[in-house]
Amino acid sequence: MNVVSPIGRILDMLPITVFIILFFYLSINSTNFLSLPTFELILKQAVPTIILSLGLATVIIAGGDDVVSGGIDLSIPAVAIICAAIVANQVTNHQTSLLWGLSLAFVAAGIVGGLNAVLVVWLRMTPLLATLATSVAVVGVTKVITESRRIGISDPTIIFLRDGDIFDIAAGIVLTVFVALVFWHLVHRTKWGMNLQATGGSRDAAKVSGIPTDHFVVASFMLSALAGWITSSFVLARGSGSSPGSEETLLLEMVLATFLGAAFSPRRVVTLWGAVLGAVLVSALSVGFISIGVNVFWTGCIKGTLILLVVASAAAGRDR
Amino acid sequence: MADALLKMNDITKSFPGVLALDKVKLSVLKGEIHGLVGENGAGKSTIIKVLAGVYKAEKGRITIDNQVLTEITPRNVHNEGIRFIHQELHLVQHFTVTESVFMGQELANLTGLSHRHMKEKAETFFVEALGTQIAGDTLIRDLGIAERKLVQIARALIDGAAKLVVFDEPTAPLSSGETKKLFAAITRLKQRGIAMIYVSHYLAEITNICDRVTVLRNGQNVRVFEEVFSNSTNAMISAMVGREIEALFPEKKHKVLDDLLKVVELKHTAFSNVSFNVKSGEIVGIAGLIGSGREELVDTLYGLKKPHKGSIFFEGQRSKFKAPKDAVAAGIVLVPRDRRHDGLVLEMSVSDNINLASLEDVSTAFIERRKDGLEKSGKVVEKLDIRPKDTLATANNLSGGNQQKVVLGRWLTRGAKLFILDEPTVGVDVGAKVEIYALIENLAADGAGVLVSSSDPVELVGLCDRILIMLRGEIITEVSTKNLGIDHLVALTTGGQAV
Repeated sequence: MNVVSPIGRILDMLPITVFIILFFYLSINSTNFLSLPTFELILKQAVPTIILSLGLATVIIAGGDDVVSGGIDLSIPAVAIICAAIVANQVTNHQTSLLWGLSLAFVAAGIVGGLNAVLVVWLRMTPLLATLATSVAVVGVTKVITESRRIGISDPTIIFLRDGDIFDIAAGIVLTVFVALVFWHLVHRTKWGMNLQATGGSRDAAKVSGIPTDHFVVASFMLSALAGWITSSFVLARGSGSSPGSEETLLLEMVLATFLGAAFSPRRVVTLWGAVLGAVLVSALSVGFISIGVNVFWTGCIKGTLILLVVASAAAGRDR
Repeated sequence: MADALLKMNDITKSFPGVLALDKVKLSVLKGEIHGLVGENGAGKSTIIKVLAGVYKAEKGRITIDNQVLTEITPRNVHNEGIRFIHQELHLVQHFTVTESVFMGQELANLTGLSHRHMKEKAETFFVEALGTQIAGDTLIRDLGIAERKLVQIARALIDGAAKLVVFDEPTAPLSSGETKKLFAAITRLKQRGIAMIYVSHYLAEITNICDRVTVLRNGQNVRVFEEVFSNSTNAMISAMVGREIEALFPEKKHKVLDDLLKVVELKHTAFSNVSFNVKSGEIVGIAGLIGSGREELVDTLYGLKKPHKGSIFFEGQRSKFKAPKDAVAAGIVLVPRDRRHDGLVLEMSVSDNINLASLEDVSTAFIERRKDGLEKSGKVVEKLDIRPKDTLATANNLSGGNQQKVVLGRWLTRGAKLFILDEPTVGVDVGAKVEIYALIENLAADGAGVLVSSSDPVELVGLCDRILIMLRGEIITEVSTKNLGIDHLVALTTGGQAV
């Protein structure tokens, strides 16, 4: 039997403990923090991060949770941003239909996902470096498309995503719950998902069991690109258009949410529901900090520190 | 005699420069446990990999139930009901027992995975087929090694289609108690009519559970034991070894001098109560199978692993080696078992590799004097007859034997006092072996202590003054090599003979 040392237990609980302390602090210092409207605001704010984290969690589940050698996809926020730019550019500047814009964006996302898969599976590049490089390239192309300018969009469907309700609940939240359930069912409740988990859990064990591991890694990058594409609509809705530079915040929140989710999992591994919970918590922190007037630069600094803490805790857990 | 379930006839397989299997025959009867034994390099793994469809044999025929298997691929072999229990566990640590048993063969219905059905089926299988109870929702990382092995077996057999199961060194990582648990499971499988091939170095296990045994040596059939008794061990060992060894080794000229290394009751996860000493000018061997704790002991002596208990005294001083640099500073050096990954920087030149541990000798104020470095390494290349005699050659392009000489040469330039050699001739051809043996003898003759950890009994008997025998994490005895027969050493390391 594996026996976890007291220090090991403390390290395991460290990220959660820090979060609980921060929440406690925010509840005391912000009068409306623990109210229903704030909770709805938190969920609405969390929508893009949740969907991006679903994509990243899928790649990590298929590639293993070693930050360097395992699975990671840093290009998902860039995919979301380029898809948003393509849609806004098509609809606003070229007066095409939203469907056409989304279709073009879908192809672009597929190309980026395919490129990541080729780099990682066939050229055996480290996912961290491959997807970082892809991300930089995609952001570059986005700047070319948008000429580094904001492109507004006033399509009714996009406005519905921002302001509409389904069953008296914000449309964004309902649709995100639907997307999360589809991802969760696929990854955690199907044979395909079990094989995906086995691929990331132990590549050798999966191969020995007759699982075509490379297929699953490729599929995970395609799914993460799909997550980026879905996110683009909510990014457009939140900003009423495509804005340059928003991928950096999304990247930070996505990575923090996904790895934080692992700290909540009983098995201490990245899971989809953990990623969703992580994204909600990260959003709650952002909203909480704004409500007590913390400078946005400090918020970034705190989130960066939390990423370090979560990743260090995961690394320490692996070494034990 | 019962019908043969599997017949492998005249299987021939060669690799560049080596005939790994030379018309080898292997026949397994229905419902029997068939032992497959032989030394390292005898061809056991190769024939198993041919059967698994991993290697393609150049000649030969495989029949299963009198049907010739025309296309031998992993999938076809699986479809014929042949299953492999690999030495490595190949399990996902954070998976449950149920998820692991059904990995790659999950049961599902229209709404998704049938978790409850899989769990019930797995738990029933453990009770009925393997005679043990393991809860389906236990995580693999919370299981002991024996239970993990049983999970691995369950995964191979859960579909109920297995006719023949191949066990490759199944007990290597297990303790005696755990081995009994595994044997109980194997016996139940036999009662269910499943035939087994059992590959192991532990001859006591072979005589304990096998009905017949095939012995391989140097890629050829040597003998088939049609009946196996507890006293068949010696006959098996004689069949396994049996070669002229005197010609390989140099005359022992070294003289044993003063105390150098003393280890007292050293303990680690992989071994316990390890005490021994090595003197200057002495060559001491460590023998033991995979899982005996031999590799971990070597790593601990060199500071790569931290001992849980016990003391190491070097030249009379109590020493704590927190990292290899401490051991090197004291005068202990290691020639590692995996020379390509741990011993050499393959992309660097022979000269750079040789000078790596003694750069201060050829440097002035952090700047290497390249000319002096080349001259110094040139002398080593000359002395050890490293070929090609080109100090600028890339280490990656050298043969295994010459690469090993480069690693040895690096430490020679530091004037080390104790050389720990871990599998010094693994993957090295016979000619280079002779040269390396001569080098090792010279090290001892020059007054250095030498500790040789090896899985080759011939090498240990031919080279060492005395040998420490490790079995399941303990030094069970120490034997002098004077008049020590290889058969006797093999019997000791395999647990085939009482100490």
